[in-house]
Amino acid sequence: MSAVSEGLEKARRGVGVAGVGRPGASPRRRPTRGALTLILFAVPSLILLLLINLYPLVYAALQSVRNGTLIKTGTFVGLENYANILTQSAFWDSALFTLIFTVTGVFGSWAAGLALAMVLRTKIPAGGLFKVLLLLPWVVPVVVSATSWNWLVATPQSPLPVLAESLGFGNVLFLSSPILAKITVCVFKVWISFPFMMMMMSSALTSVDVNVYEAAKVDGASGWQTFRSITMPLISRSTYISWILMTIFCVNDFPTIFLLTGGGPVNSTTSLVVMAYRTVFQDFQTGPGVSIAFLMTGVLVIVSVVLYRQIAKVNIE
Amino acid sequence: MASPNPRSALSRRGFLGVAGTAGIATAGLLTGCNRAATGGSGGSAKPLKFWNMPWGNTQFNKLDKKITTDYKPAEGLSPATYQVIQWANFTQTFSSAIASNTGPAVSSGGGTQAFQFEAQGKIAYADDLLDSWKKDGLYDDFLPGLIDTMKVDKGYAAVPYNLDMRVLWYNTKLLGQAGVEPPKTWDDFLNVCAALKKNNIYGYGTAAGAGAYTGSHILVSWMINNGGGLFNAGHEPDMLTDANIEAINFVLECVKKGYVDPRSPSYTSDNAQSQWKAHKFGMGFDTAGLANNVGGTVAKELTVGSPLTSPSGKKGMLYFPNNIMMYTNTPSQKSSEAFLTYYYKNMAPLWTENTGIGLPPLKSITETEGFRKDKNAVKAIEEYQPISKTWAAPGSKALFLGVTTVDGTPAMDTFAQSVLGGKTTAKAALSKLQDATAKAIKALG
Repeated sequence: MSAVSEGLEKARRGVGVAGVGRPGASPRRRPTRGALTLILFAVPSLILLLLINLYPLVYAALQSVRNGTLIKTGTFVGLENYANILTQSAFWDSALFTLIFTVTGVFGSWAAGLALAMVLRTKIPAGGLFKVLLLLPWVVPVVVSATSWNWLVATPQSPLPVLAESLGFGNVLFLSSPILAKITVCVFKVWISFPFMMMMMSSALTSVDVNVYEAAKVDGASGWQTFRSITMPLISRSTYISWILMTIFCVNDFPTIFLLTGGGPVNSTTSLVVMAYRTVFQDFQTGPGVSIAFLMTGVLVIVSVVLYRQIAKVNIE
Repeated sequence: MASPNPRSALSRRGFLGVAGTAGIATAGLLTGCNRAATGGSGGSAKPLKFWNMPWGNTQFNKLDKKITTDYKPAEGLSPATYQVIQWANFTQTFSSAIASNTGPAVSSGGGTQAFQFEAQGKIAYADDLLDSWKKDGLYDDFLPGLIDTMKVDKGYAAVPYNLDMRVLWYNTKLLGQAGVEPPKTWDDFLNVCAALKKNNIYGYGTAAGAGAYTGSHILVSWMINNGGGLFNAGHEPDMLTDANIEAINFVLECVKKGYVDPRSPSYTSDNAQSQWKAHKFGMGFDTAGLANNVGGTVAKELTVGSPLTSPSGKKGMLYFPNNIMMYTNTPSQKSSEAFLTYYYKNMAPLWTENTGIGLPPLKSITETEGFRKDKNAVKAIEEYQPISKTWAAPGSKALFLGVTTVDGTPAMDTFAQSVLGGKTTAKAALSKLQDATAKAIKALG
């Protein structure tokens, strides 16, 4: 191991110039009588929470195995709804778009958010004002954002088509071409979501000890080496948490898509949550719609567990 | 640090007491609010809930509420309360309220809503009400054929309320600049489109994007205009007919020749209106209220054209007889019927005081001076209403549960977007719609 690499490894572990190391793991303690009392106090709230969350979950699970409508529960059909959905090409098209939308939404917003968080960490004039302005896409209600984006791209007189034409790209159909509509919706999602990532990353970056950077500097690390070997590992816990949250936000994101494209043209931007909504409230098929929602939940749980394990791994390291 | 004195804290019993009092006070307050929108008399009879939609501009619901709360029921009958139900998520609002028996006794709503709830056994049939209207002349006041559209096997599911019609519009100024006369046939339509295209104007203005269903309505209108439609007499989807294929091929020809804006598959209603405003749409199809919605100086240039004659020599358009329905969950059926009789006899101002509602169902209203000021509305009623048909065409006049599978459904959106996008064939698009509809009808049971 080179001196620089060794120094970076020490720095990453928090052994800085001041000699500060990571605190050792605290010894495992047995629950005391006081702790048991606290748990007993929490039991009524836990029961209430379980009832609030469990009842709709169980009711929805029952609906997913019946052929009911919004008014009647219908008859028991077993796993027929799931089987029908899983054999529909429309479901897999929606699943693919959900994957594209989520991957772009999570990593696009994270990259933009991290970059801006790092820029805002440096001292720039009117930094506070910039922060507020950058938060606007997250703060503004999505109905307003979607209307603004529609105004930006929808008609030939809208600013972006006019710009595209003046740059020689011709008549660009941002929302009418199935491929461009997909791209537009994904970019819209990144635009709406990057402020959240920026806040998460800003708070993670402030928790990194400056001594670590000083130690890296002393060891002669370049800017990129510092970012890759110090910044990234030290903010990895926050990064994974933000990824989990953004994955959930993206998979469950209904208004962004529905307000901008309604899932069209020709279903090209129909994500699973939009498909579930349309199946229940436009086709009036409750069972299949709820089954889609359950399948989505299953996938989300798996992704969350994988990412949580990654966080646990980071903690152990 | 001193420990807190537990006796001075609010006890659990005390907390429950305070919470209970607050709850009762809030309930009282809410009941008070509810009473504020209730008609004056009616003795001790339980109020009857009337839910109506925002059918027009902001004036509509104000006036509608006044008409409702001015209702003075006869002794023993219920007064009426008024509530506006927003269009956003209205299906969920009605479905959940009706499933939990907290819904209205009388309401308007989506055009096919009555048939959906009728199939669930939640609708009180209007047969007795219509019989009573036969005696007092109100029945004969309805425009021809309207009441028939509400007839299902067991009775009348609802009463026609306001008509949502699809009509041909053109901009007189732009047609004049192009040197063409308004079209009368499909061939004329192509010629006018060609002339407008020379001036970079679209002749087939339409919208089929998020929440814009006009695009699909007009496609079905072309089919009906040619003697076709979606359902046969047995209420089964029957879409792959020669008349329908010819109609959709005609639309595909318009798309191919550049008479349809390529952004139409993603246009919202607002986008389409902005194109009319920007003089980019010179002709097209929309609701009878288009000129009012577009507004400004362009509104004066917009005129309703006469219905086109198809190659089959037939005329026809799709229309939506929106309706008012009565529910089985009512304080009393007599109260529901008495209220509706009052309402229909007193609702004329909704059409004569510029509230922006659709077209009236009663001949007497179409004959009022207030209504006849709007030449376009008069033309829509006189020329389009007699030839218009419902989703049930060509098989039957009356609506039925199966039409809910094509009314604003994903399958219909996909059909419209694929045809207006021009990347399909008539047979492929109709075949896909037919399969999806048949499957959805099967799922309805």
